[in-house]
Amino acid sequence: MFKKLSAVMLGALASLNVLAETAPIHAFVESRCIIQTDMAGTYGNPNAYTLSTAAEDGGDPVVIRFDVTLADSYYAEITAPQEFSTSPIINEVMTWEGDTTVKTVSDATGMGEYETNKVELGMLDRYDLIATGSTWFETSSKVALGGDKAFPGGDYTALVTAECIAK
Amino acid sequence: MAKLVAVGVFMVIVAFSWNAASHEMTPTYFKMVPSHVDNVYRTKVNVYNRRNDIKYYEIGVFDADFNPIPFTSLYRIVKVDYLSEVNIDIYIRSDAVNKAVYICSKSKLRKNIKFLTAVASRICSKAK
Repeated sequence: MFKKLSAVMLGALASLNVLAETAPIHAFVESRCIIQTDMAGTYGNPNAYTLSTAAEDGGDPVVIRFDVTLADSYYAEITAPQEFSTSPIINEVMTWEGDTTVKTVSDATGMGEYETNKVELGMLDRYDLIATGSTWFETSSKVALGGDKAFPGGDYTALVTAECIAK
Repeated sequence: MAKLVAVGVFMVIVAFSWNAASHEMTPTYFKMVPSHVDNVYRTKVNVYNRRNDIKYYEIGVFDADFNPIPFTSLYRIVKVDYLSEVNIDIYIRSDAVNKAVYICSKSKLRKNIKFLTAVASRICSKAK
């Protein structure tokens, strides 16, 4: 009787071991900083020698959203374009202008100072993302061809770079 | 209570906009551990692609001033299909491991994209 009971217990223990070896443990670690392109933006062509994302020039500014779920851990760095990534051959000098501003925030109290406290380094704007939540940034871009010469016909693409850098 | 409502509103916003084009990378802080090869350290990052205009991401390792650090991975430019995740192993020599401060993934845009302006996204993890 005692022998039988021991055998059953040993068998149960052995089967528990087998179960423990094959039981998976799953985890999903969510990303703490997400960069979303809400609007890719377009250039308007108000005159022959200017391309501009301003609404009054017929363009749309780029809107990028940063979702942060870890406070005070990331910088957002957004760089307005300073050249075309694709374009027809242009021999004239181009003058680039660009700026990034905070458009909307999900937490006005924690993020209210983002625009005031930003650091500008040329076309690059750096924001210290001290609070959790979403921040929408709007980047405008304008390029004029030197000597008021017309842009040649063709496809033009300029890149806005959005970076989320851990502190 | 107000904070709870704010968090709730944020989560609803995130939930409703989840389909938007986004680039994600984990972990925020990476840790180099010895690999199976002598004098070589290893870490792993995950890249999630929710940008339907992007299929490839470039991986880079940088020092504190964003100067590139030599590293090895299976591919420098990794194909990450839309709505999928890729785990990337990164190997760094022991003499360079202390210089590695950032691991970044940067979206690679195709030349034939139709937008007049486009967004290149880059996310950088930092060494622990």
